[in-house]
Amino acid sequence: MKRRQQGILTGMPFMANLAPRTFVDDLDRKIYLAKAPIRIVSLAPSITEVLYAIGSSEELVGVTQYCDYPPEARLKPKVGYTHPNLESIMALQPDLVLAPREFLRADFLGKLEQLKIPAFILDAKTIEDVLSHIQTLGRMLGRSASADGLAAQMRQRITEIKTRTATLPHPRLLYVLNSEPLITVGPGSFIHQLIVLAGGTNIARRARSAYPRLNMEEVLKEDPELIVFPVGLVEGIPESEQQVWQRWTTLSAVKRGRFFRISSDLVNRPGPRIVEGLEIFARIIHPEAFEDKIKP
Amino acid sequence: MGILGGQRRFEGSGEGALPHGDVGTRVAAAEGTPRAEQSVLTSRRWVTTMLTLAGASLLVMIASLRFGTEEIGFVDSARILFGALRYGETGIDSLGPSSVILLQVRLPRVLLGFMVGSCLAAVGVGLQALLRNPLADPYVLGISSGAALGAAVAMLVGFGKTVLALSAISFCAFLGGLSSLIVVYRIALSYGHLPIHTLLLAGVILNAIFSALIMFITSTMNPNRSFGMMSWLMGTLAAPDYPALIVLTVYLFVGGLILFMQTRALNILTLGEESARSLGVEVERVKKTVFFTSALLSGAVVSVSGLIGFVGMVIPHAVRMMIGPDHRLLLPASALVGGIFLLAADTAARTLLAPAEIPVGVITALAGGPFFIYLLMSRKGGLAR
Repeated sequence: MKRRQQGILTGMPFMANLAPRTFVDDLDRKIYLAKAPIRIVSLAPSITEVLYAIGSSEELVGVTQYCDYPPEARLKPKVGYTHPNLESIMALQPDLVLAPREFLRADFLGKLEQLKIPAFILDAKTIEDVLSHIQTLGRMLGRSASADGLAAQMRQRITEIKTRTATLPHPRLLYVLNSEPLITVGPGSFIHQLIVLAGGTNIARRARSAYPRLNMEEVLKEDPELIVFPVGLVEGIPESEQQVWQRWTTLSAVKRGRFFRISSDLVNRPGPRIVEGLEIFARIIHPEAFEDKIKP
Repeated sequence: MGILGGQRRFEGSGEGALPHGDVGTRVAAAEGTPRAEQSVLTSRRWVTTMLTLAGASLLVMIASLRFGTEEIGFVDSARILFGALRYGETGIDSLGPSSVILLQVRLPRVLLGFMVGSCLAAVGVGLQALLRNPLADPYVLGISSGAALGAAVAMLVGFGKTVLALSAISFCAFLGGLSSLIVVYRIALSYGHLPIHTLLLAGVILNAIFSALIMFITSTMNPNRSFGMMSWLMGTLAAPDYPALIVLTVYLFVGGLILFMQTRALNILTLGEESARSLGVEVERVKKTVFFTSALLSGAVVSVSGLIGFVGMVIPHAVRMMIGPDHRLLLPASALVGGIFLLAADTAARTLLAPAEIPVGVITALAGGPFFIYLLMSRKGGLAR
């Protein structure tokens, strides 16, 4: 995330510290917050998780219907997700709306601006973005200490995975986002980065979009050594669809029975648990590198 | 449509005692079509046209087998195919990746694409004649959206096993199509008759209701999952395994044959129900047969391929412009042309952005639409006379 020095006297180092209450979001919009917000609406499960992780759950007054972690987040009032309900948001009288870039409609944002509700847009494209978002939200909400601590701890876990898998071969992996038709993750998607970071090779690395419909011929040609299915309560690939993959008997992954499941919430949400997702990916791809550690 | 224009002239001319088979051709002749070969359907012309199209189909199939993420030359393809025929499917594993790609993915997909295209076009011909509406296509009766709804529910619930070699989604889609068939039929049926207008309207309304339900399901689904569902609905030709392909081939072939057996009656039916009745056609029986067959066929097609627009509506028109309105030739010829068209479109869909794919419905509309506009412009008045 871009971080700019703010204020007209930006050049003077001491002034930078005097105007710390202006924030620039991922759409390059500036918002000024005179004091730390106390009524926050989160429009993404990942943002909700960040707020809980840095200890700002008290200030959270509205969430989406998919905000299910930590479990107590379910108890907060719901405002919708892909089509947030403006009236419910208004009724909560928020002094800050935190929204993801996905599903964000220009008219919705314009309406919020018109109603003078500050909106801050988060668009996590990389793991680094997630860390920087956590720190930004920490500064914004007066939780810098815990946010920086969390980010540092996450960064350390990422480094450890990198060092453990750095010298190992990179097995070919197919991530089955959707089975019928086959949709997978390509470069530009979050999960693709996790696969690479965890020391694997995404067989759809040559695709030109983030979520390509992959040709089955390409799968057979690339011959994945592992097939990973996301699973979850409300999404994920049902067992029967996973069984359908057994028919491709020539695939190395099928021959060796290397089918794995991963909680989609851990890898899809650009929040604090992304490191857990990364660790699970690394354990799936390189079980040999984690033999000394007990499974979480 | 030319048929309707001819109808009035025909009714006025009072040639009521024609043998059934000749009516359609006489109508065409009555229009004064400049091309003589379009107006009279001789068995020789039938055979030549069909043989030409069958030859073209075979060529397109062979060409389609060549293209894909992995180029497999004709010689290699032939060797792999004959090898598989001789040693059976069991020997595949030892044959290396390109034979697996060819035999397990490309060939079944090519066959499925051809069948789906054929079926859509044939059903389109049948329904355009039955409903006497140039806008009719296999999706007009509401069966397809019923099937799509079935698929959506299957994906929402996420349950299932393979049934009759079909995947759970396909099976639920077929069930959905079947139930909406019954609903449309019950709505439209009045005193043992099947009025065309009620049938059409019932289909349209059911389409609207089912589409709304699908949108509702999509909106409540987690966005990550609904993405997959929308992709399925956009039209998907997956590679079926051979048992499923055989079940489907038999099913579609029988259905197509039943439709073909009605073509004589459909020719007469285009004159209007009264005229057809006075010519000795059991109008209600024909209508019901065509309705049920079309519905069962389109339900099955949607259940294996999602919603592939355009083929079913436009191919019949294009073929009619080229070979004339006689359904005895129009239906089987459209079936072959539809198969060729969808096959070509699907080959483009899986190669243009390889290794990614484009939904095949996008290609059918983008490639077929302008071509059809060209046909319309170049033969202005030919369709809307």
